[in-house]
Amino acid sequence: MSTKYQIPNTKYSLRIAWLYPDLMSTYGDRGNIIALQKRCEWRGINVEFVPITVDSNHKLLANCDLLFMGGGEDRQQKIVSDDFQKGNDKILRELIEKETPGLFICGAYQFLGKYYKEADGSIVNGLGILDIYTENPGIKTKRLIGNMAFACHPELVSGSSCHSRESGNLSEKIPDRVGDDNNIIGFENHGGRTYLGKNVQSLGKVLTGFGNNGEDQTEGAIYKNTIGSYSHGPILPKNPQLADWLISKALEIKYKKEISLEPLDDSLESQAKEAMLQRLKINH
Amino acid sequence: MNPSIILFGKLFSQISQLFNFGNGSTWPGHIALKLNRNFIQDILKNSQTKIILIAGTNGKTTTSLLLKTILEENGQKVIHNSSGANLLNGLASALLLNSNAAGKITADYAIFEVDENTLPIVLKEIDPQYVVLLNLFRDQLDRYGEVASVAAKWTQSLLHEETIRLILNADDPQVAFIGQQLFNHKNVKYFGLNEKGRKEFEHAVDSIYCPRCGNKLSYSAIYYSHLGDWHCEKCELKRPQLALDEINFTPLSGLYNKYNTLAAILTAKELEIPENTIESALKKFKPAFGRQEVVEYNGKKIQILLTKNPAGFNQTLQTIKSLGAKNIIIALNDGIADGTDVSWIWDIDTEMLNDFARNITVTGDRAYDMGLRLKYSTSSLKIENCKLKIEPNLNIAIDTALQAVSQSETLYILPTYTAMLDIRKILGGKKIL
Repeated sequence: MSTKYQIPNTKYSLRIAWLYPDLMSTYGDRGNIIALQKRCEWRGINVEFVPITVDSNHKLLANCDLLFMGGGEDRQQKIVSDDFQKGNDKILRELIEKETPGLFICGAYQFLGKYYKEADGSIVNGLGILDIYTENPGIKTKRLIGNMAFACHPELVSGSSCHSRESGNLSEKIPDRVGDDNNIIGFENHGGRTYLGKNVQSLGKVLTGFGNNGEDQTEGAIYKNTIGSYSHGPILPKNPQLADWLISKALEIKYKKEISLEPLDDSLESQAKEAMLQRLKINH
Repeated sequence: MNPSIILFGKLFSQISQLFNFGNGSTWPGHIALKLNRNFIQDILKNSQTKIILIAGTNGKTTTSLLLKTILEENGQKVIHNSSGANLLNGLASALLLNSNAAGKITADYAIFEVDENTLPIVLKEIDPQYVVLLNLFRDQLDRYGEVASVAAKWTQSLLHEETIRLILNADDPQVAFIGQQLFNHKNVKYFGLNEKGRKEFEHAVDSIYCPRCGNKLSYSAIYYSHLGDWHCEKCELKRPQLALDEINFTPLSGLYNKYNTLAAILTAKELEIPENTIESALKKFKPAFGRQEVVEYNGKKIQILLTKNPAGFNQTLQTIKSLGAKNIIIALNDGIADGTDVSWIWDIDTEMLNDFARNITVTGDRAYDMGLRLKYSTSSLKIENCKLKIEPNLNIAIDTALQAVSQSETLYILPTYTAMLDIRKILGGKKIL
């Protein structure tokens, strides 16, 4: 796999925070970081990864342009929860409120909500940044596991970040049918059921699988430029449009202007997605 | 009741082999357990056979086979369950097929490899002399759940089994802690390594936080994944004392096989097998199918290395690198036995392949996913520049990959579990443990 490709150079750079990589990265979530890194690198955008972990200096997080946090095991989430309360919780809230883009998968997504009710009924408080809550109906109910697909807001996957949008309000509704490129594939594995409140929109509409709760066909949430989703897979390399949306949003916020991203050859990504959609018998 | 079940089961097994039904290694036991829920207990009550259970995420089959080879070299009769038939029905099948008409097992030892989730269930049915616990890595999270919860279940199930002797991997904090929680320490023996380790962790680590207090562990040496010489600076829990850390000879390549060999030798030593017997057995050892076994196909050499989770995959990549591998097939399936979630491939350090691979073919049900993983392992944007082929059909993948292999070279195939079974059919090999 030798390389002859000349890496371009641009004046742009991004600092990407990877929140608790040693504790919250259970289901191949590192793939999201790899996708962000490569898709910036291939376009000559300089990337610096900033691992934020237990007892990291809080200034580190405050200076980041893009946020990522993955899922974790229960025991590790407890360690993270304790550490957040030492100050990172306030910084994260500020970043999200001032429209710093971010991706929060599974446990991290639940964590942004108001609370998580565990299988035994005990309540774990969340950060309360997203108007969502999560409940695990008990150990006798099945985990929601399997390949999934959902139709995403066209704006997030159109390949351009420059649609105007009021904060927190997506201009377009999610279509009932899948278009050419607004379908997202992934793999979900969660015990908790998440329910959306009024101040948050769903990320997409479930085509196959369970999504937030297996009841209302919603999957994930979007608030300002923060995305929460149950989709492992990992989501970004399999759905590069989403990765590009995060990158261009981050550039837009940082440089305060629209920056169009150089298109990349995503034929392999498309083939991989096509193979999975066929298997899931989703026609589009 | 058992003698008639056994007769029926044996007949069924022969018919199923004759017509190639598959699953011949679990169905007789499945039926036997349906007819008599206490089938296993009843058959063992009649027999003098000593039982050794082997559990862990990686290395069960190889460790079982190593120990079996040693015991047989010592003149003992040993039975064991087929690789993969490691649930209760697989154990029942092995007992059924190896019993005589009177419903008795005449073997001296039964070595059973046991699925992680099945160990607590098996311990309710069987009273083993030894339990060998190899390691716990993230594996098939859709099926097994999280590493810490498996460790907790094992501890619970062993807590009151004071007569069982434990052989544990001291270098795996979760596994070692199981022994450290049990009160009867004289029945616990540990194996581990004492050599120069690496300084940094791979990405795929699961248990680097103290199993007792949750503080981050310190390591004076890291061997692979989260295995190493560890201690907790907060609560002072540390790697227990090793009963065995050195071996003169390993029949298989790779650090992970060093651990398997240590586990087998320590168990053999506890069973008072003489050292020279152990050594001569190891020299005769032949690997199980897919566990570094070399086969010849169309006049060319193929070596198959089962890879089913990030820790094992990283070890396999290190191993084939040291063997000088250039031609590689990676076969990724997502059947139940493989784990239906293939996210784990993003936890493997496939970037390593850039150092040594010349031709890589990816194949299997999820060939495109593996193709993507490799694309994102290079700094190259254009896939045509890499000698990477994506061919979902396993047959075609093997044929085309072999064309690029010279007579003096070896084609290395890294399959997940069900892909390995498919490869066995293609290569026409009947040899499987």
